[in-house]
Amino acid sequence: MSQQFSRRDFLKLAGLGAATTAVLTGCGPSSRYVKREPYQQMPEYNAIGQSTYYATTCRECAAGCGLILRTFQGRALKVEGNANHPLNLGKTCARGQATLQGLYNPDRVTDPVKRASRGSDSTQPMDWDTAVQTVADALTNYKPNEIAFLMGTAPDHLFDLVTDLANAAGMNAPIRFGALSMFEARATLSKAAESLFGQAGMPSFDLGGADVVVSFGANFLETWLSPVSYTREYARMRRGNPKQRGYFIQFESRMSQTASKADEWIPLRPGTEGLVALALGRLVAEAKGGSLPRAFSGVDPAEVAAAADVSLETLEHVAHMIVSAHTPIAVPGGSALGQSNGQTVAEAVLALNALVENVGKSGGVFLSPLSPNQDAYHQPASAKEMQDFVNQMASGKFKVLFIHGVNPVFELPKSIDFKGALSGVEQVISFATFPDETALEADYVFPDHQGLESWGYQRVVTGTSQQVISGAQPVVTPYFNTRATADVLIAAAQLAGGKFAATLPFKDEVEFLNSKVSALMGEADGSFTAPDPVTFMAYFQQYGGWWNKSDVRVSAGNSNPLNRNIAGIEADFVGSGEYFFLPFVSPSLAETGANKPTLQELPDPTTTVMWNTWIEMNPETAKELGIENDDVVKVVSDTGEVEASVYLYPAIRPDVIAMPFGQGHTAYGQFAAGRGVNPSDLLGAHFNEAGDLAFAGTKVTIQKTGKKRQLSRKEGLIGVYEFRPE
Amino acid sequence: MSTNLELPMFTNNSEAELGGRWGMVIDKDLCTGCQACVAACSMENNVPFVGEEDAGYGRSMQWIRIERLWEGLDGDYREVKMTDYQPLMCQQCHNAPCEPVCPVYASVHSMSEDLNLQVYNRCVGTRYCANNCPYQARVFNWRDYADYRETNTADNDPRWSVFQNQLNPDVTVRRRGVMEKCTFCIQRIHQAENQAKAEGREVRDGEFTTACAQACPANAIVFGRIDDPESMVSLAAETSRGSRLHEELRTMPRVTYLAGGA
Repeated sequence: MSQQFSRRDFLKLAGLGAATTAVLTGCGPSSRYVKREPYQQMPEYNAIGQSTYYATTCRECAAGCGLILRTFQGRALKVEGNANHPLNLGKTCARGQATLQGLYNPDRVTDPVKRASRGSDSTQPMDWDTAVQTVADALTNYKPNEIAFLMGTAPDHLFDLVTDLANAAGMNAPIRFGALSMFEARATLSKAAESLFGQAGMPSFDLGGADVVVSFGANFLETWLSPVSYTREYARMRRGNPKQRGYFIQFESRMSQTASKADEWIPLRPGTEGLVALALGRLVAEAKGGSLPRAFSGVDPAEVAAAADVSLETLEHVAHMIVSAHTPIAVPGGSALGQSNGQTVAEAVLALNALVENVGKSGGVFLSPLSPNQDAYHQPASAKEMQDFVNQMASGKFKVLFIHGVNPVFELPKSIDFKGALSGVEQVISFATFPDETALEADYVFPDHQGLESWGYQRVVTGTSQQVISGAQPVVTPYFNTRATADVLIAAAQLAGGKFAATLPFKDEVEFLNSKVSALMGEADGSFTAPDPVTFMAYFQQYGGWWNKSDVRVSAGNSNPLNRNIAGIEADFVGSGEYFFLPFVSPSLAETGANKPTLQELPDPTTTVMWNTWIEMNPETAKELGIENDDVVKVVSDTGEVEASVYLYPAIRPDVIAMPFGQGHTAYGQFAAGRGVNPSDLLGAHFNEAGDLAFAGTKVTIQKTGKKRQLSRKEGLIGVYEFRPE
Repeated sequence: MSTNLELPMFTNNSEAELGGRWGMVIDKDLCTGCQACVAACSMENNVPFVGEEDAGYGRSMQWIRIERLWEGLDGDYREVKMTDYQPLMCQQCHNAPCEPVCPVYASVHSMSEDLNLQVYNRCVGTRYCANNCPYQARVFNWRDYADYRETNTADNDPRWSVFQNQLNPDVTVRRRGVMEKCTFCIQRIHQAENQAKAEGREVRDGEFTTACAQACPANAIVFGRIDDPESMVSLAAETSRGSRLHEELRTMPRVTYLAGGA
């Protein structure tokens, strides 16, 4: 054996070259990327056909799961979960798997462009120097308070950068928003926890340690908050304890994918979730004996049963399950919170947890810990805050709007007229990677890299009891002529000079990240330590982030949360129609999946429909109206109307009509555009007490159109409806 | 039910052969139907998409499908139940009905791995194998789906080729007229075996797994050596909840399903 070390030996010795280990990329600006090479010029460590693996963070939703990307000769081939990452422990969801189709997609924005006019397809390509100058001019030509930033849900490094910039220069604080946070009703959960426990923070539910789970519309197996970690916890609840299988009850007017896994699906009349939770609280408190807590004293279970269209025996049975359980837990979420009384519902359900004394205990409710470098914890904006923002736009308060990582023209209800309000803004600059509806209304599009080409970090807000800063690094060279938005802003700030330059005195994005990440070095109980910042940053990328070794669970502060009144009111519904309208987020598409053909072709778990929008209707209702499978009907609300094919769904209340959110794009690439309809067109600007959208608080009418359009389904229909033998 | 394996066509020679080699256990109680396995499989195995119309004809190419059925449709809607989700892929039968019907030996049995192979360059597309598969686990390339222009023939834009950057070089890209199915990620099996051989050892349990099992957020899929009684998959299969699909056909599938419920 030769004594000389080749680069390959070095990597082997360093333990970095072998499969399933992340190989570091360099940190200097010129060596920031591993090059994509033609096949005849492979980098040495690929010459023997070995793949290279990089740890990074998934950007498909705001949960922040850790990924390991398999790359081969500079191409990203396969998404795998990061087994060390505390949030997902090596697992991914379907959307995480398909993130490669967002990277390698023919419809991406390939160059910085200037749009001929808003809404027009015609664009003029620009060079990046001019683009950076445009951003610098926008920063200097307007007063700081005339400049606004709108960003995606995830609290990431770019949000920190913009926050620093905004604070120093006196600009408006950046607003974060996303369709998922709107449908998750994050603000509601957090405000309810604050009102009940006297402490702010996102509640997180330790399903894995519970033996009876009672969920009120929480779709935690689909898209809610952190679906991968909640699915793992669900599995632990079911089979984690070999002696006892966990029991799961779901109250929901429609059998969602989550409810389909419940032992008991109990359909209730929409809007009565809070009453049912209080009634259960009363029944449980009575069974346990002692004095009745004030929170549950004002409710009559028999009346609630009648209002909710659930039998009293059923409620008594559920109460009995809760009383006889060791570690019961109640989970509020989804459509139960997206109603006019959403916060009351959340409080009633959290009170149920306080009653069974599981707050801060294993198998119970925790408040998510804040990350160590998260000094100003910031929730994504609620729909109400977005409406205020839109009003300010329309009134001309903002002269410049920067948009990154969010598509409000598509996601917000049409009644909150984001598109219209853009006319009040002189200059709209989008950093979109895809030509989505909002980018189409922007004067300039300066495309950011796709997530797998980007540096960064992201805070994990919920889903784990550890503090997690998930790290991201590029796994491939940028495929198109895109540039990191952080780099663009740093360069523009340098050009703009003054306070801007002083706030961001960095050479590039990586230097900015180093400055932020190295602040974690002194933290105790970290997952790794390093003698110097350079090594620390290298480990940060190799491990895919930094987290606490042990759980940092925050239990509630208020010792007696039940000694208060919770107003047991039914939700109000807007509209004159006779059917409750229930939009839900498509489990496979969610907010960003529609441009990825593999996700479009994934059958919906419950209906097996692919590639389009459907309307779920109970077969009884359809029979009354004379509607059959695949008939196109018009759904009309006070604020809009949409047309789509009917799917006869047997497990939905006859007075409820449900539709998935995720389709109905008018732009966003060829796989998304012109496909299906958007249920948020039907939603009015109605909010709950916490300012979240009352998305499940609309009533609609159904009109026949006489048309028929077949839905593509995975299932066969034989034996289901048409072909049932007599 | 007693199982008589002494059928003239399918005679097994040894106990070891009956035991099989690679196997899978799927816990239907844990499966949430989330489709992560389907997406992961498609990404690993270069499974193309076919578009809305062909998907509606039942031509989608996914190697796994997640079945679900309804119960209680005749009664009140409150009593309607969904059966447990059942991910279904090629069951890698020991006595595989797809094998004897292939006129060109494209559907053959690997004696060393005890898996059903599909030799793409032998396949002439008679589709007899799919016809004879009791699990409907096989999918046919009705068009050149892997050439993504095929899903949108009007578009000859060269940008289409960007999708091909992601193709896994370890897995053949299939063309029109060829039958395909789940391979138990044989490229991963071979890679692990080669690695183990180079290091002079056996493949360790859990050293690698299939793409579907790797992604599954609920850990509902376990893959490994079923001839090793100590392996995770053998231990998982040893429960009263376990059963195999269509056992009465004596296909001896290598996938064990664990029933849901208490």
